Amino acid sequence: MSALTADIPQRRRGADFLMRYAFFILVAVVFVAFAILRPTFVTPGNIHGMLMSASIAGLMFLGLTWLIAAGEIDVSFMSVAALANMVTAALVQDGQGWALASLGGLGAGVAFGLVNASLVAGLRLPALVITIATGALAASIAAAIGLGTSIALNNTGFVGQVLGLRVGVLPLIAVIVAGLYAVSWFVQERLTFGHYIYAMEQNRAAVVEAGVPVNRMLFMLFVLSGVVSSLAGVLLAANLSSGQPYLGTSYFLDGLTAVLLGGMALKLGKPNVLGTLAATIFLIGLLNGAALLGWTDSQRQIVRGSLLLVGVGLVVFARSRRKT
Amino acid sequence: MISNRLFIRLLAFAALVAVIAAIFWSQNPAFLSGGNIRALMRHMSVQGLAALGLTFVIVVRHFDLSFPGVASMGAMTLGWLIASGAPFPAAIAGALAVGLVFGLVNGIAVARFGLPDIVTTIATGGLAVGFSYFYSNGTSISQNFFMSGILDLNDKRIIGLDMPFAILMAAAGVAAVVLHASRVGAGMYATGQNRVSARFAGIATRRLIVLAFALCGTMACLAITLLVASSGAANVTAGGQLLMPAFAAVYLGAALFGRPSVGATLAGTLMMSTMLNGFTLLAIPYYYSDAIVSTVLIAAIAIFDPRLSGLLNFRKAAA
Repeated sequence: MSALTADIPQRRRGADFLMRYAFFILVAVVFVAFAILRPTFVTPGNIHGMLMSASIAGLMFLGLTWLIAAGEIDVSFMSVAALANMVTAALVQDGQGWALASLGGLGAGVAFGLVNASLVAGLRLPALVITIATGALAASIAAAIGLGTSIALNNTGFVGQVLGLRVGVLPLIAVIVAGLYAVSWFVQERLTFGHYIYAMEQNRAAVVEAGVPVNRMLFMLFVLSGVVSSLAGVLLAANLSSGQPYLGTSYFLDGLTAVLLGGMALKLGKPNVLGTLAATIFLIGLLNGAALLGWTDSQRQIVRGSLLLVGVGLVVFARSRRKT
Repeated sequence: MISNRLFIRLLAFAALVAVIAAIFWSQNPAFLSGGNIRALMRHMSVQGLAALGLTFVIVVRHFDLSFPGVASMGAMTLGWLIASGAPFPAAIAGALAVGLVFGLVNGIAVARFGLPDIVTTIATGGLAVGFSYFYSNGTSISQNFFMSGILDLNDKRIIGLDMPFAILMAAAGVAAVVLHASRVGAGMYATGQNRVSARFAGIATRRLIVLAFALCGTMACLAITLLVASSGAANVTAGGQLLMPAFAAVYLGAALFGRPSVGATLAGTLMMSTMLNGFTLLAIPYYYSDAIVSTVLIAAIAIFDPRLSGLLNFRKAAA
């Protein structure tokens, strides 16, 4: 690899560097601009709130990152989170303890992870359509639990206390999620397991020929996606102190944008956990800063969509240049 | 041999629909009344048009996740044009043009520039939703609707059929000719089977992929035009309800009939609409009916998967 990169002319290597890190520069520029235009953007309270949201969203998008990196897709993740959120809220409202309720929420996530895994990895059915269907199923069960409306909770139990804990100035949950991402980075970039994930996207048949149990890996990835999504759903139940059956819709575009935009930074189109984390923080910051600046939802939506489109275009352009 | 198999599949499909209809009829005899069947056909028209457009994209082995967003923008464009006093043919042309433009953008991005289809269409769909807020800041538009004549699109009848259903039938007829009785359609199937060999066989694969996306966008906007005409207002969230039923109809049809085609999509739409209409009639809340429909979709894809049905045939041969 190093022998190859050494042959690349200096100028192109510079362009390559810019492609990889342009997104981080953009994030820095945008955040500094928000801070200058609206000083409230950088008050401790606001940063704390943003870190909380980014941690929960980051948790939800972790499994999705690896699935997309492996060349599969899961569009049921946000509905699974909504289902876990509603199951937890319903159990708490029913008088159960938070421990049992959280387990119930996680159980729902594991169940949907297993369903996706057996249908896509086990039976080799098309991932996009299957997860559209399982996502709709999870969303409708979530709505059915609350009979179409949300469930308000009067206590947030130990989950709420954990969310309230701080390590120094940082919320504990942000530290935990950051640790989780560090471990995931190590697994994806330094262990063979992670290399197989990248390899599966390139040439599935070759990886199978190499003797890698591809189906078992895919199975694990889908279950993992269900678990982290439902974990985020349980945390949201405490964070919002309610069960929201429709919270999935707001995470759908954000999740795919975070993973794909993050993949375009750093690895030129290969989803990776660091990219996802940076993009998640960026999207949360954009939401927050845009609200402070008084932008409408639609303007933010257009910024987000354009970024995704420009990002994917740049990556394809860069890759085609490199081949020739 | 092949026509024999098709006959069996048709028979199985008819039996399935008959069973579903019989179940609903036993619960509520009004299910088979003329009024309800007309309501069913109206429902089928909107879903069917969106699904027909998607069929083209699925045939060339691509995905389009942008059409719900594009349809929302089409709906708002239509509403805004009518509210600002444009004659309604011009308003409809405006809505269809939105679909055409977004479809062309998707198609050119995917076919000419080689961008990945799922990411690209998610992004353009997101953009379209964003643009749809521009007309009215997100509030629904219904000014001038009574005067403009757009409601006729829903209420008029033509040769004994309700207008929406007549439009669906006409669109399906054209789509069937394009897909099953022309070189364009044969080229699309070939492109879907194997892009490289299709190109070497002299098929303009890129142009066909662009055409497929353009048709998908345009027909999604036609579908939403009918929906706006029936509800009497244009909404920014109007398109959202198209995604799941359209994919379900195309895949259900493809599962039933072995491959995506105009007939298969219509059959899939008929089945979906029959179920959704029946649930509405029995006053079952939407969240239960959604759950049942998605379960049916998962089951249909799993059961009709070629390897599983191959397994069944093998057992039959062994027995």
